[in-house]
Amino acid sequence: MSTSTLPVALVDESEIAPTIRLLRQASRWRVWPGVAMALGFFAIAAIYIPLVWLAVMSFSARPLSGIPYPLTLANFSLLLGDERWVPPLWTSIWMSALVALCCMIVATFVGRAITRMRRPGPVLLLTLLPLFVPGLTMGAALFIFLRILMGLTLGLWSIFIAQLVWALPFALLLVLVVASRFDIRLLEAAEDLGASPWRRFWEIEMPLLRPGVLGAGVFGFLLSFNELLRSLFVRGIETTMPIYNWAMAASQQSQVPIIFALATIILFVTLPVMGAFFWFLFVKLDRD
Amino acid sequence: MATADLTRKETALDRLAARLSPADLAVPTFLVVWSAVVILPLLILVVFSFFQVRSYQIVYEPTFATWQSVVETGRWTVALRTLRVALTMTVIELLLAFPFALWLAKGLRSKTIKAIIITFLTIPFFLDVSSRILVWRSILGTNGIINTVLTSTGLVDEPISWLLYSEFAVHFGMLGANFPTMVFPIFIILALIDDDYIHASGDLGASPVQTLLHVIIPMALPGILAGIIFTFVPLMAAFVEPQLLGGGFVDLLGNSVDSALQQIRYPMAAALSTVVVVLLGLCLGAFMLLTRNRLDLATIFSALHR
Repeated sequence: MSTSTLPVALVDESEIAPTIRLLRQASRWRVWPGVAMALGFFAIAAIYIPLVWLAVMSFSARPLSGIPYPLTLANFSLLLGDERWVPPLWTSIWMSALVALCCMIVATFVGRAITRMRRPGPVLLLTLLPLFVPGLTMGAALFIFLRILMGLTLGLWSIFIAQLVWALPFALLLVLVVASRFDIRLLEAAEDLGASPWRRFWEIEMPLLRPGVLGAGVFGFLLSFNELLRSLFVRGIETTMPIYNWAMAASQQSQVPIIFALATIILFVTLPVMGAFFWFLFVKLDRD
Repeated sequence: MATADLTRKETALDRLAARLSPADLAVPTFLVVWSAVVILPLLILVVFSFFQVRSYQIVYEPTFATWQSVVETGRWTVALRTLRVALTMTVIELLLAFPFALWLAKGLRSKTIKAIIITFLTIPFFLDVSSRILVWRSILGTNGIINTVLTSTGLVDEPISWLLYSEFAVHFGMLGANFPTMVFPIFIILALIDDDYIHASGDLGASPVQTLLHVIIPMALPGILAGIIFTFVPLMAAFVEPQLLGGGFVDLLGNSVDSALQQIRYPMAAALSTVVVVLLGLCLGAFMLLTRNRLDLATIFSALHR
């Protein structure tokens, strides 16, 4: 917002209509940045208050009531005694690792190619299209295509496709952020000095792209690890962690204490990782 | 002559090899595979709504039967309700996000705080959705924290029942999750606007409200439109919030698609999803028409480096 201190000489405010004059004066009030900030922090609170409350309620004896007291560790010991959530967790970890790896490789190749195209628009739009398609619609579309039309047996492979479709556009965006700043003359210089294509890629381009590629991996892993709606429809008989959580949350059974405890543990593992990653990303970007 | 031919042949082979190198093949191969798993399923979804299922068999004859039953069974009211909820939420998010994005891009001077806020807005993309929507029940429910506080302080006599299992609860649950998708495109486009334009407008005697209406908003339009698409289209297929917070009273398109799939009424699920796909197509088409020649890749990414 402009906070120009110059005297307003070009407009004589006494000559304009009173309502417009009022509007002009009101728009100069110092409160507007504060209002803007408050609106944003209200929405951010709507994201984070449930997370804090989730962590609090995981220690509560009655997790769905309004009062956390009496506090207890019973939910966590219940979680340790129950083993049904362990196989979904491992499925999710392996699946996410695979999706992350795939994201890193594909996003690197496609990302560096897109920055070299003369008209990248159509390719970019096609690649980023899944960002716009709601999860439920994509899941239903993949289900009807793979299961009903093609008659295939769904399972881990179709969950992999569904999660890749979701995670890859984000991974590609991260690689693009880094690759679009890459100076192509570095490669030409290396070529003039006699470096082979592979060396040019591995020893010059890759080290410079590394933050983007690593970011693609982290984003890919986390997006895949928490993906629900697409996997839900193409899961066949497999269960991932979010699908397990969903089944427990939707079925109104007594499993709620367990998923609160589990979600809290996962939060406490992922939040520091993400914090560290973003710190690295911003510090790194600033230093370059 | 023969040797000359040979060398020419070799160079042709070399050129072929160069053209088939992994880097050049990567993109076309990727695009074919990507279309097969993204575009093709969406197209088939639309086509599928014109087929029928009879005695567990799909009849591949084009028919409007499914669409007729959408109208006759009154399911189009679900589409209308979803449209209303999605539009309401999009407007609310826009009203919250635009001032905030403006402050973030132009008002906030500290780079550290900016980085922290961007981080806070990005983290929700990586969180499991069911548990953090479910926890609203213990905040909004009749025994929830809000009602407990209200009744124990004597502000109300009995718990407010419409806080949970109502359209209010569904809207409220959507609020946080769809905020970052609206902020980011607007923030990026606002960060792109050169401060000189804004200062020039002020120096020429424009009040802040005139600068906002005649300089900032027109220049930010592509970002605003992108934010609207990013928020509105996913809201049209919202599923978790109505399921967990609607308590069966708020039937939206997402729930209808899910129940149609479970009842093996695939063409119906396809038809209801088609509504979303068509809206998506219209939105993207309008976006491309309106922002033609105004945006290119380089400028978008240069905005991220500021």
